[in-house]
Amino acid sequence: MRHCVVCHVGNFPASAGDQLVVKKFLMGLVGMASLVLAACGDDATTMGEYMGFRRDDPLQVGNLTMTRAFEDGAESPFTFRADDGKLLVVYFGFTNCPDLCPTTLADLRSAFRRLPGSEARVDVAMVTVDPQRDVPEKLVPYLKSFVADPIALRTEDESILEKVEDGFLASSTITTEANGRVNVSHTAGTYVVDSTGEVVLEWPFGIGADGMENDLRLLLEDLDPA
Amino acid sequence: MNKKSIAAVIAAGALVFAACSDDDETADTTMTADTTMTADTTMTTDTMTEGTTATEETAAGEIVVEGAWARTSPMMAEMGAAYFTITSPVDDELVSASVDPSVAGMVEIHETKENEAGEMEMSAITALPLPAGEAVSLEPGGYHIMLMKLAAPLEIGSTVSIELTMKSGATLTVDAEVREEAP
Repeated sequence: MRHCVVCHVGNFPASAGDQLVVKKFLMGLVGMASLVLAACGDDATTMGEYMGFRRDDPLQVGNLTMTRAFEDGAESPFTFRADDGKLLVVYFGFTNCPDLCPTTLADLRSAFRRLPGSEARVDVAMVTVDPQRDVPEKLVPYLKSFVADPIALRTEDESILEKVEDGFLASSTITTEANGRVNVSHTAGTYVVDSTGEVVLEWPFGIGADGMENDLRLLLEDLDPA
Repeated sequence: MNKKSIAAVIAAGALVFAACSDDDETADTTMTADTTMTADTTMTTDTMTEGTTATEETAAGEIVVEGAWARTSPMMAEMGAAYFTITSPVDDELVSASVDPSVAGMVEIHETKENEAGEMEMSAITALPLPAGEAVSLEPGGYHIMLMKLAAPLEIGSTVSIELTMKSGATLTVDAEVREEAP
């Protein structure tokens, strides 16, 4: 089964460029930048287009590690790879984020609802970029309001967070004003990671539930051809 | 690319207030500058709400607000956001929004946009331009009414009444339905 990947290069930093990129997905081939819909798969009935984008040189995050936080204060080491037979969706956000973060997580929830059985095959991890305020007993329930079994990733070690962010070409900045007001800015992309730790697809903010649903459906089909 | 924790001293009263607040100030529910509206405006002040559409009669026509909704807030969230589309019959600006303190302790008009570092950041704006006859959308990833210091979670099915004030002095109340997703 082959899928065309049409890369919509959005507001990601260091994105692959402004051209549409079509490539065979999950074939391990280095895609060539070319015109839309060239060289699509030969199986028209299963052909689909991804709404997210994939880099010519996909990010490899499988060697990055972080701490998974649990509500009761327990912690466990976490590696950025999906379990076998599953996908891992990674987002960088924070609980005091009223706009982008809940929009993204709610869109993901909608996509899961529209794809019966999908949530069991896709783990969702959020790295908090605001660990001082996002204590585990707050972070975990927040994420649980969107997905049943979220992976809350949190470190107070800035160098670890920075390393993880760098691995995803993500970034965040916290600015505290004199009056105590905390401003958080962050890249708002979402990443789909496979069991090898390769970022197989990236979703810029705004892809919406429709885009996520479309892409998860295609990815899960590829993962486990019917 | 880099994580920066900057303890910046930003002058009080700066126009660019962003996102999220820890401060403990309570008091008024409106924070936007230039909103010292008094009751002596000559605009009609009766408001109509019908479903999620609100209109404000003015001499030149009606301000129309449609599709008002607020995202349900997770239990632990202190922040919420409300969205709608607003059309003014005349050139005007949305300068203030407020809600009852039993809903949220502070309300601002916010814009989410990408900064030079490629990061998305929110900042309060003091005025949202409303060109005559143009539908201006407040939507995720763009403008929103930021509900800060939520007194309680925003529950699905409830409504949040938001009082909007224009630069012209016109006011109207918008009933935003609390939903999981945009209508």
